[in-house]
Amino acid sequence: MKNPHRLGRWLVALGLLHAIIACAGFFAPYDPREQDRENPYVPPTRVHLVDAHGRFHFRPFFYGSLIREDSFERLGEDSAKAVQIQFFTHGARYHLLGFLPCRLHLFGTGSGRIYVLGSDAYGRDQLSRILYGGQISLLAGLLGAGLTLLLGATIGTTAGYFGGWRDALLMRLAELFVALPWLYLLFALRAFLPLAVSPLEAFLLVTVVIGTVGWARPARLVRGVVLSAKERDFVRAARGFGASNGYLLRRHVLPAASSVLLTQAAILIPQFVLAEMTLSFLGLGVPEPVPSWGNLLANLQEYSVLISYWWMYLPALAIVPFFLGYLGLAGALQEHANPYKMEAASLGGTG
Amino acid sequence: MLFRCENDQPLLRAENLEKRYKRADALDSKEEVAALSEVSFSIFPRTTLALVGESGSGKSTLALCLACLERPTSGNIWFGEREVTALNEKELRAIRPQIQLVFQDPASSLNPGWTALEIVSEPLLVQQRLGKQARRAKAHALLEQVGIPAEKASKRPGIFSGGQRQRLAIARALALEPKVLILDEALSALDCSVQAQIVNLLLELQTSLGLTYLFISHDFAMAAHLSDQIAVMHQGRIVETGSVETVVHAPKHTVTQRLITAAMGSPALPYPPKVA
Amino acid sequence: MRYTFRRMIQAAILLFGASVLTFLFSALAPGNYFDEMRLNPQISPETIISLRGQYHLDRPLPVRYVQWVNSLIHGEMGFSFAYNSPVGPLLWVRARNTLILTLTATLIAWAIALPLGIWSAATAGRWPDRVLSWATASFLVLPDLLLALCLLILAVRSGWFPTGGLVSTGFETLLPFGKFRDIVMHLTLPVTALVLSSLPILIRHVRAAIGEVLGAPFLRAAEGHGIPRRRLLYRYALRAAANPLISLFGFSIGALLSGSFLVEVVMSWPGLGPLMLEAILARDLYVVIGGVLLSTLFLVGGNFIADMMLYWADPRIRTEAATQ
Repeated sequence: MKNPHRLGRWLVALGLLHAIIACAGFFAPYDPREQDRENPYVPPTRVHLVDAHGRFHFRPFFYGSLIREDSFERLGEDSAKAVQIQFFTHGARYHLLGFLPCRLHLFGTGSGRIYVLGSDAYGRDQLSRILYGGQISLLAGLLGAGLTLLLGATIGTTAGYFGGWRDALLMRLAELFVALPWLYLLFALRAFLPLAVSPLEAFLLVTVVIGTVGWARPARLVRGVVLSAKERDFVRAARGFGASNGYLLRRHVLPAASSVLLTQAAILIPQFVLAEMTLSFLGLGVPEPVPSWGNLLANLQEYSVLISYWWMYLPALAIVPFFLGYLGLAGALQEHANPYKMEAASLGGTG
Repeated sequence: MLFRCENDQPLLRAENLEKRYKRADALDSKEEVAALSEVSFSIFPRTTLALVGESGSGKSTLALCLACLERPTSGNIWFGEREVTALNEKELRAIRPQIQLVFQDPASSLNPGWTALEIVSEPLLVQQRLGKQARRAKAHALLEQVGIPAEKASKRPGIFSGGQRQRLAIARALALEPKVLILDEALSALDCSVQAQIVNLLLELQTSLGLTYLFISHDFAMAAHLSDQIAVMHQGRIVETGSVETVVHAPKHTVTQRLITAAMGSPALPYPPKVA
Repeated sequence: MRYTFRRMIQAAILLFGASVLTFLFSALAPGNYFDEMRLNPQISPETIISLRGQYHLDRPLPVRYVQWVNSLIHGEMGFSFAYNSPVGPLLWVRARNTLILTLTATLIAWAIALPLGIWSAATAGRWPDRVLSWATASFLVLPDLLLALCLLILAVRSGWFPTGGLVSTGFETLLPFGKFRDIVMHLTLPVTALVLSSLPILIRHVRAAIGEVLGAPFLRAAEGHGIPRRRLLYRYALRAAANPLISLFGFSIGALLSGSFLVEVVMSWPGLGPLMLEAILARDLYVVIGGVLLSTLFLVGGNFIADMMLYWADPRIRTEAATQ
């Protein structure tokens, strides 16, 4: 039995996740580029509610760090220096959603820095970097998927609707692209374009590259839908009323393709986000100092970082809830879609 | 009014229609399939011509050519005094309302995502006649005319029964007030009892609206019941034509005889001939 | 036979097209290997020019293509600037290593996915199916990057497995069984990474394919005849679901060379992946082209094998092909 709310629930969940990333400035305590060279590779700060004397505080707090010579971990807690965490405080300036200047943060500290997820080699707060990095990676995935689907839909519709030499040419081209190894193509394409570019240019390049490599499969799917929609009698009937090609495409053919496109979107977006992560991880994506989930993981290629600092792995987990969300969405879409399948005329009935 | 028709002039006339296709699969095939060869017939106003034949005899191809949805390879089609095969798309647009097609399978001929009202008013929308309100009113009137209850107007065809869907298809075909209705196996997908009801509806509409029908079917008995003239098709050609009585009681061609025997067991007419 | 022939021609045309496309595109890209060299003050401009001439980079495009095809026929596939050797032998060694990895992983993955998928479909709705669905979903959402990294830490921290490479130093001195064991130790983690990343998708597809077939009337009829459950599943249902599964298998074969790229790079397996990455970054033209083409060969070949298997397995395709 189909659950009509299933689709809605997944959309809401994904929407929330995206909203958090979109409002990264609010949720992140610090500016992702803010360095603190005194505190490289600090493990995640331990937050307490009960202090060393056993007293309970409503407001969570943490201790400043001090260097301990005696223990294995170089940093320990200094129970004399307690710093309280304040909520809805003013902190570094940022632009909400890219244009609204704002200073409000969900939480922050007056003095002392809290590293919820640890810090990296330059003392930058990992939590902030992960949140801001999500903006880059997710945007690359979304825009890339949009580009691919636009390309695929246009090509597929042209091939399927007009047929003839256009169809033959485009489908041979699609076969070629499908036959080429996607990942290698992606890398080669990116690497053969200028490498030493500004972060913005790199971002655009990465997005365009990811978007143009994968058009073939959506194009074939759209072509299939268009072909079968074209042959449907309701399209013939509309032609019988004197409808133009534009009308037919707009009102009958393309709506049939919409469910395929949406499902493809739900499948492609996480793939493309992962592609950006892989590119950046290997140094071909968005460069420093702009954070992206991929280049946050690039430090792990150093052996010392790999074994000593476990919190540097956390950016890889950031994508997991999104994968989950899109997976659920794709499933719900596949179930929900296809109002275009109607059972054959039922035999019997009142007529 | 585009046509001037008097009762002794045929409303729809086909002359030597030919339709050839290249074989669909290989690119290098030189073989052609002749779907229609030397097809000629006439239909007079307010009468019904039945086109009977087995599957693959070319009936549907003929229907598409007559409805101007396919162009014949050669030959002529006359609506009243106008020849239509030579017209371009723009000129055809003015002719199209006069001749409409009702398809066999309403599951395919009705867009499942649209409501009944939208489906029936689509022809008016495409031809850009009438404002929005007038379209709605006309659509409601059409639905009533074919016997679809008013409360179903905003529902999608998915919940309709087979017979109701076909009524919907008929209502849509009537929206542009055509002179000729081509019914391409329009009853074949329906249950027996439902068929009888739709037949009655069609006969009623013919009388009240003065329609001319081209009734295409593989069911000889049904065709004989519904029509004045019968043409028998076989492998793209018309092998026999004549009035119902003549063809049924004295079939000349072997194919006709075979069809009659298959439909009725023996060359006798169980249905009463149509009352003019 | 005609069908086979036709498919082979199509595959050959595809490969030709791919080679032209890749060649065109890499040759047109800005920058080449020698740009890097120009930055090196120790190498004189004259050397670079003569090197370029030596490698024919100053000739027009079609000529270079023809020369490349020529060298292809001789098994060389062009010349690698970085390694200073013909590309062919380089690729073969790396490709062999990749294949060792991916063949093992593919076989293991399919060997696990088939029974699990069938079991899941057969017990649809009940606890085995639910547990499996939940498990596959959890692994599906873990990016392979994460999996590879985690396994890498496992190797490093536990010391049970080597952290990279195909063989240990001193490999030569081992006895045959020792050699085999050494390779297996090195294989374990990369294979695990590959299997874990491909298993969820495979299981899902197998489950879907078998699930579709399970409701079919002919299967119920067979059940009514008293055919035992296991035989029913494996001999009847599996055969009927062969069509989508064979296509999937074709994809698996196709991905034998290109699917392990990330795992190889992260876990330092000396296969095609790291070579390609190096070559791409260094703009080593002919290595890139050779690698892409080799992978394309496998992709096209996988498709071809799947088509042949389908032809053999599905009588409907045979009749369709015969009537054409």
